[in-house]
Amino acid sequence: MFPTQDEISAWLPDLLGGLSISLQVTGLSLLIGIPFGLVLALGVLAKNRLLKGVSLFLVEVGRGAPALVLLQFIYFGLPSTGLTLSSFSAAIIALAWNTGAYTSEIIRASLQSVALGQREAAEALGLSRFDELRYVLLPQGLRVALPALLGFSILIFQGTSLCFTIALPELVSRAYEIGSTTFRYFPALLAAGVLYAAISIPAAFLVNHVEKRAGLYAQR
Amino acid sequence: MDGAILYLREDDRLHGRVQPAMMPASTDVLIRLKSLSKHYGTHIVLDGIDLDVRSGEVLAIIGPSGSGKSTLLRCINYLEPPDGGIITIGSMTIDAARPVARAELSGLRRRVGMVFQSFNLFPHMSVLRNVSLAQERVLGRSRAEADERSMQLLKRVGLADKAGQFPVRCSGGQQQRIAIARSLALDPEIMLFDEPTSALDPELGLEVLAVMRELAETGMTMIVVTHEMGFAENVSDTVMIMADGHIVEKGPSKDVMRNPQQERTKRFLRAVHDR
Repeated sequence: MFPTQDEISAWLPDLLGGLSISLQVTGLSLLIGIPFGLVLALGVLAKNRLLKGVSLFLVEVGRGAPALVLLQFIYFGLPSTGLTLSSFSAAIIALAWNTGAYTSEIIRASLQSVALGQREAAEALGLSRFDELRYVLLPQGLRVALPALLGFSILIFQGTSLCFTIALPELVSRAYEIGSTTFRYFPALLAAGVLYAAISIPAAFLVNHVEKRAGLYAQR
Repeated sequence: MDGAILYLREDDRLHGRVQPAMMPASTDVLIRLKSLSKHYGTHIVLDGIDLDVRSGEVLAIIGPSGSGKSTLLRCINYLEPPDGGIITIGSMTIDAARPVARAELSGLRRRVGMVFQSFNLFPHMSVLRNVSLAQERVLGRSRAEADERSMQLLKRVGLADKAGQFPVRCSGGQQQRIAIARSLALDPEIMLFDEPTSALDPELGLEVLAVMRELAETGMTMIVVTHEMGFAENVSDTVMIMADGHIVEKGPSKDVMRNPQQERTKRFLRAVHDR
């Protein structure tokens, strides 16, 4: 049932290679997706109808379609329009879109949670819209959003396992490959599970810690 | 109380220890409102307000809740865009019936400072940053210039020692004095105060009133929406009573407060004194 010591030392380099790709995809998806989420949030809040419409469309598709469908669509579907992407690029585009769509709602809600008086004070002082956002709304809003954004980041890390279906050599596909050559599926997938947990559980503790600190700030 | 400026006691003026007008209000009109109006749906909040405020004048606006006092103040700096009427401030005229350009708005707000009931300091910035930020972003002062001016003003409101703290660490009265310093830092021509002491207990309110009194004595033009009858009577030059979106009565503060002419004013003042 459990992997032996020999198996572990034999599989580990491969599994860690897969984990490294999972983490790279997570990092890049968040790095692109969260700023994209901010742009979408501002777009949804915009008065301009076209901007608002396009942003809403991107948010609703990104949230409405399962991440697996987005992945499949971008990797297998787009080539028929003449656009062929590597599995790594396809994974990042799909997960960044998914991240952007979800985090835009988190960011929008947190910006709107900043007290109205803060906006009025900024306006009365004559700050421009951009300065109001940059110096007053974002620093306070993002502090509110931070725990939810970190929580979502853990979900995206786990979501990279879906990239197994587009032949990206990430952690699950490495474990699956080991299973198919050794017929030791259970121990191989178990080892992969332990590696996921080794990242996700400490990350969850971190989120809790951040949430408590953000709470302290909110009490004022 | 730790304010260095609190050399004036609340009753100093009453007893004639301070001359009522150290810097008398001039005769030039600084703010002129012509038929300023505002409604929410069918509810009329401001019903064609005409008002002149002279340079250096301190005008107190009193009246029952829902009379339009705060809305009037908020219309003057366009936090609430009025529906109609004309606002003239110095050489600048804004026709509220037409859409207002962003540049006009920032020009208006550069001339007009505003202090809120709930202070509205930025909680994520130090006290010094609160006072310096708009100087840098709006007036284009350097960080050093802005900080120097901020420290002068914090000293003036007796809070230089709080510069490095966060607003959370300050009492309500201290926060309001910081908010006053923040507005003054932009060198406004007019200061608007929207019930500046209503969120404070009486003692803390006193330290804010002392700062406002000192400001009045430097010749600052001020419009103050307030429930502080002592301030209205003793510090302001003019008192105006509002009810149902109208000006009921307006005149020299002592006259209006001690010898009101209108029935509505008498009723309001009686209610205040009976409390």
